Parts: sequence; C-alpha cells; structure tokens
Amino acid sequence: MVESGKISASQAGKLLYLTVIPTAILTSPAMIFKVAKQDLWISPILAWSGLITVFIALRLHRMFPGENIIQAGERIIGKFLGKMVGLIFPLFYLYLNGIVVREYGEFVVGALLVNTPLIVVLGSMVLVCAIVVRGGIEIVGRFAELFLPAFITLFLLIIVPILPDLNISNMLPVMGEGIAPSLAGTFVLQLWFSEFITYSFILPFVTDQKNAAKSIMFALGAVILTLVVSNLATLLLLGGLTGDYAYPFLILARYINLAEFFTHLESLFMAIWVLGAFVKICAFFYVTVLSAAQWMNLSDYKPIVYPLGFLLILVSLWVAPNYQEMTRAISTSVNLSIFTVFVAIPVLLFGLACVKKAVHKNKNRR
Amino acid sequence: MEKTKRKTVPLLLALSLCTFWLAGCWDQTEVNDLAIITAAGLDLTEDHQLELSIKINVTSSSGAQQMGGSSDPSGGGGGQSIVRSVKGKNMADAASKLQQVMTRKVFWGQDEVFIFGERLAKEGLSEPMNFLLRHPGPRERANLFVSKGSAKAVLELDPPVERSVADALRSMAKERTGLNITMKELAQMMTGKANAAVIPLVEIKHTQKPQDSFPFIHGTAILKNGKMIGRMNAAATRGILWLRNEINRATVTVSPKNSEGTVSVQLLRGQTKLVPHIHGDDWAITAQIDAQDDIIENTTDLDLTNPQHIEVLKSELQADINRRVRTALTQAQKKMKADIFQFADAFYRQYPKEWNRNKGRWDEIYPKVEVRLQTNVKIGKSGLIGQNLF
Amino acid sequence: MKWAAVLGITTILVIITLREWPKLRPEMKREKAAFAILTILDGTLAFLLVFYPDLPGPTQGLDAMTKPLVKFFGNLMAEWSG
Repeated sequence: MVESGKISASQAGKLLYLTVIPTAILTSPAMIFKVAKQDLWISPILAWSGLITVFIALRLHRMFPGENIIQAGERIIGKFLGKMVGLIFPLFYLYLNGIVVREYGEFVVGALLVNTPLIVVLGSMVLVCAIVVRGGIEIVGRFAELFLPAFITLFLLIIVPILPDLNISNMLPVMGEGIAPSLAGTFVLQLWFSEFITYSFILPFVTDQKNAAKSIMFALGAVILTLVVSNLATLLLLGGLTGDYAYPFLILARYINLAEFFTHLESLFMAIWVLGAFVKICAFFYVTVLSAAQWMNLSDYKPIVYPLGFLLILVSLWVAPNYQEMTRAISTSVNLSIFTVFVAIPVLLFGLACVKKAVHKNKNRR
Repeated sequence: MEKTKRKTVPLLLALSLCTFWLAGCWDQTEVNDLAIITAAGLDLTEDHQLELSIKINVTSSSGAQQMGGSSDPSGGGGGQSIVRSVKGKNMADAASKLQQVMTRKVFWGQDEVFIFGERLAKEGLSEPMNFLLRHPGPRERANLFVSKGSAKAVLELDPPVERSVADALRSMAKERTGLNITMKELAQMMTGKANAAVIPLVEIKHTQKPQDSFPFIHGTAILKNGKMIGRMNAAATRGILWLRNEINRATVTVSPKNSEGTVSVQLLRGQTKLVPHIHGDDWAITAQIDAQDDIIENTTDLDLTNPQHIEVLKSELQADINRRVRTALTQAQKKMKADIFQFADAFYRQYPKEWNRNKGRWDEIYPKVEVRLQTNVKIGKSGLIGQNLF
Repeated sequence: MKWAAVLGITTILVIITLREWPKLRPEMKREKAAFAILTILDGTLAFLLVFYPDLPGPTQGLDAMTKPLVKFFGNLMAEWSG
C-alpha cells in the first residue's frame, strides 16, 4: 500500500468541492456566456458530466473495493493494456495541473502583482503544495476541511454586498432560444465537472465508506449551487458585458460599494482564489504523485514528490507561450481531451467491467 | 535541550528570510510614493491629439505640510490638489506619458470620476473606454461625465464646499437630479442592443470670485454608436430619468386649472416599467409610470383634504410627468433616433424570436415605435395643514 | 541570464537530491531508480526550455491529436448557440 493515511467521507467531499470550484468560478461565466448568453446559469444545473463521473467512480469502487480507477482498469482489461491506460492518468493530471498552476500564476500576476516574475508566483505555490502532498492524503484532506469555511465565508462576502446592484431584467428572456444554448454551455462546463473522477483516487482512503456516496453527491450539489449563484450574480451585474471580461467574478468584487465605505474588495477575491487554487493544485498533484508511484510499483510516493513538483513547474511554463494561447487551448483541445480521459475512458472501462461481470455470471450458471 | 536549540536557529533564520518575501519585493508600493488620481479628464485638442488631465491629491510625506502652503500657491483649498496634463496619440499613449511628468507613481485605483470633453465625445468614446476597461486600475464604478467645453477646465475648479472637484461631482450625480452613469453602465449601453447611451453633462457655474466657481450637472449628452450626437436640457433629462426608471428625487410645481397659485409636491418614489407589444409590424411600448408624491406647498384655494381636489391635482401631476416624458421621447426618438431608453432590450426580453428576426432593422423600427404612457400618481401626505391659510 | 537560470536549476535539483537521497534505504532500489530518472528528466527538460523556449509543448501535441474533432464540435456549438 502506497498510502497509509485515511480521511473521512466528509473530508473527501469537501476536498472534491474545493478541487472543482475555484477555477470554475474564475473563468466559467465568461466562457459559458459566449455560447449560452443570458441562460448561462442554467448550464450548471444540466451538468451531466458531473453525474456520470461521480456514478462511475462510486460503482467501480463498489466492484473493486479499495482500488482506484487505474488499478480497477488493470483488472478489467488485463495487466498490459491496463498499464498503458494507467500511464495516461498521471501524465494527464500533471498536464492539467500545469494548466491550473499557470492560470493561478497568470491571474495573480495579471491582476495584482504586476511586476513580479511569473516563475516566483508559480514556484512558491508549487513548493507549498509539494510540502502538503508529501504529508499524505490526511494533510490534503485536512486542508480542504480547514479552508472550506473560509472559502464559503469569503464567497458570501462578495455575493451578499453586491445584491443591491443586481438587475433582475438582465436574465430575461429565460430560454428565449430554447434549451440548446444552455445545453451547449454544459459542454464548456464539463471541463470542470469531469474533474469529479478524481474521487476515484480518493475513495480507497475513505474510512466511512457508507457515507461516501452521500458526501460526494452533496459536493456535486454544492458545486452546482455555487456555480448557479456565481454565474447568476455576474450576469445580473454585468449583463451583456459578462463575456467581455476575462475574469467577470473579479469585477463583482471590485464593484461592491456599501455605503461608500465598504469598497475595493478585490483582495477578498484574491484570498478566495489563492485558497481555492491551493487546494485544487494539491489535490491534482496528489493524484499525479500517487498514480505515478502506483504505476512504477513504488513502495512509497514520498521520494518522487519533489522531482514531480519541479516537473509540474516546468509543465506549467511549457503548456502555452502566453495566456491567450492557453485560453484558446482550454476551450478547444483541452476540453476535448478532458472529456476523453475523464469521461470516455472511465465509461468504457465501466462498460467493459459490466459486460465481464455478466459473462462471468452466465458461465457460473452453466 | 541541545537538539531543540539546533532546530531553533535554522527556524528563526528561515522565518526572518520570509519577511523579505512578505514585502512583495517586485510590487511593493508605499502610499507616499504614489500620485493618487482623484479625477481624470480627457479632451481632444485642436490638432487631434488626446489630452489627458488628472487631478491628484498631494499626499505629503512628513514635514512637507508646513512647506506645502508656501511653495504651491495655485490650489484654492489649501494647496492639497494639483492638475497635470499631457498629450498623446491615444489614451494609452497619454497615460504612459503621464508618468514622465510625475515624480511619483501614477495610481488609478482611487479615480472615481472621468470627464470627457464635448469635442472628444463627439469624435467617439470607444477608444478611451477600451483603455479604461482593459487597464486593471480604473474602477468599474467610476462616474462618467461629459463637460460642456474642456474637461480640464472642470478639473481645475476647486469647489468651496466639497473636498475636491471629484467629490463634488460624485455627490451631485448621486443625488440623482440628473443622471448617474458609471463606467460599467456606459460600457453596457455602448455594447448593448440599443447601441445608444446617455452621460450627464457638466457645466461650470461662474461666480464673481473665480475660485468659487463650481461645476454642476445640467442636462444630458446623447450618444449613438459611441459618438455624442446631441444634448438634452435639464427638463428633458427628467423625462429620460422617468423612462429609464432612474428617477429619485424631484420637486414638481404645478398650477392647477381654475385656480390661482401653485402646488408643489415632492416625489417620494417613482417607478417605471416598460411593457413591449408586437402586433404584426406594429411595435409599441407601454410605459407604466407609478409615482408617489407628498405635498410640500400649496398656495391655491384647493382644499387638499378634499378627495375631489386631490383628483384635480393628480391629473395635473400626471399631465406634467407625461409632458416631460414626451419632450424627452420626441427628441430622442424622432430627432436624434437614439434608443437611449433601451427599448431594444425590452423588446428582446419579451419577444426574443421577433427581435432576432428584425434586429438588423432596429434603426428603422425605433423611430416608429409607438409609446403609450400609463401614468399613475398617488398623493400621500399633505403635510401638517390642509387648506391654504393665507 | 541563461547561465544564471542553468545555475539556479542545478542548485534546486542538487538541493532536492541532497534532501531526498539519504532518506532512501539501500534496499529501495526501484524508488532510487524512479527518483534518479525523474530528476534527470527534470534537468533535461529544464535546460531544453531555457535554451529553446519555443519547444513545442504538450498543448501542441493535444491540438494536433484533436484537430478534426475540435473543428466538428466547434461547428456544432456555433449551430446550437445560434
């Protein structure tokens, strides 16, 4: 066993919530608005990709208790093919995490620390995350538990004071062009909802398995609710401008003005962003390290944490020459490959497992 | 004991090293290194250059306070603020040149007022707006104005009551006797379906003593496709406020028929709802205006405790509101053909499919849209006395 | 500047190795190999990126792989959202 730590089901749920939500809040309103227009808040409700990945993570774990999707895959399609598929996951998590780290860095540098070199911002974040990941799943889970209340408080501190400035008529007409635009928006959103497959890697370390399903469904519901609220708030404030800002939710924080006194709150948003990105990077990094160690049959993943962390910094600088190129890639090729790795491959594996089980049953009956 | 000591020393060393990082090396900013802009003005010069003028509050470093008065005799309110201006090819060019004439780092974060000169507004505001929205410094909530004459002249004023000209303009905009347009709202209007916008117009009230001159909001600048195409006076602006549902404070004086003298009422709250209808090719808007008024003065012989007299007054008030709204409507709809009331959005919200079919023809349709007014005035308190006593 | 980067990268990798290597017990052969391979990979990639910053990255690879599909879905999305 590579990991000896254990976390509770509620910690796992909180971890998954904080893994999915931070980057979604930051960029999803602008990205969905481009396809769904004023129906952008309906898209999170139709989040099929979240349901699929959560369902598969849970069912696969019930079929193969104590094993994550890679280990289960080796059982389903054989050692050799399983290893091939198993290599995709650590590589893809590393790549995806590179994008997240870069997004974090670009935002901090672009909106706050304009003169600080990107590498310093990225490097310090990855270093902290590496230290946490080296501590194991327990530390990662506890950080999620620790930061969740802070995250939600800060989120509400942005949403509540902006309420007087919201203009309900911005959301009309609801579904003026049918459901198609909001459905198209879900294909943008699956970028984030598919990340729920990460639960498959956390599930084996959950102590109270009977609560696992409940807590993850709760996390999924919370993600949907948060996205509906944040997308709605940005829409009601900015209207047709939502798609024109790179970070619409930041504008929300900047626009707050309570009694000419409570103003200039973008630092609140910065705090949310740093907290959220921290947990997200930790979770992805942990999965990278864990699945890489399992793939190489190591007895311990601790030795490869720092080398992989260094690699993570390199990848984050390597993913794209600039921010524009990265945003373009995120909405095209990255979106599609996330769908392939996080949805299509698990669905295939699960389908095969079901077929195998049925065949096995038939044989036994004869 | 020995072991803990050996651990403590590196720990302390590491902690003290951390303090270097906490200062945020590359991005450290000290307040007394900043030139804090409180208001900015943009003008177009004769030779088609952009002139950017800024008003800055001098945050003096310690000890400079005594010197301030003697070395800087120009400012009116104690030499606290100064105006600087630079010229450039466009907004970004001017903004970067600004740093060259300043000894301190230019800081946009507290700039709550932007004034565009009338000439620039006529040439088009898209270019400067592009810079202001893109740059992370200026606030989306900053108030915008168009000045009659040059914006720089407005900035150079030091109105006697308020702390600075920026404060004076902001508080006037907030009182809502005229419009109150923020940068976000202008961007929304300029990119919206109607493609027309309104910005409050600022004029300078000259007094005998030049240092007592002050700016005040007088009328509205009308923009279409990002360019100023006309202006409306203060009376028509009331109509704009009614139709845009931004009315806030108003005192109306009417002289009812068949009686001498006047009645003044104060608006308590007013609300307008635009209800669009499309029947075939007929596009119409019903503006449902609801107002609640309090009587504050009555010099007529009407007895305002008498319901019948109240009815008379009501219809007078409704006619008054309708007259104002019609004035604004005729000017905007028939003369300037600018959809400053965002009828386009109202139609889109109610009839998205029809709108999408006809959005290319909106410029044609708009002047023909029939506007019906359903004005309903309620009269609340009549004050402490009923009939005119004198 | 480039040589400063090389020096910095080397220093970081040496520090990582000095911290981690003593913790690996002699019998942990696989772990030692994994650590060595990853560290060498780090160094190679880092130096490559320092000298050839425009080295085609993983994103370009994904772009190439998903090109036809991206085109297809792009058209589909454009149709759906009107």
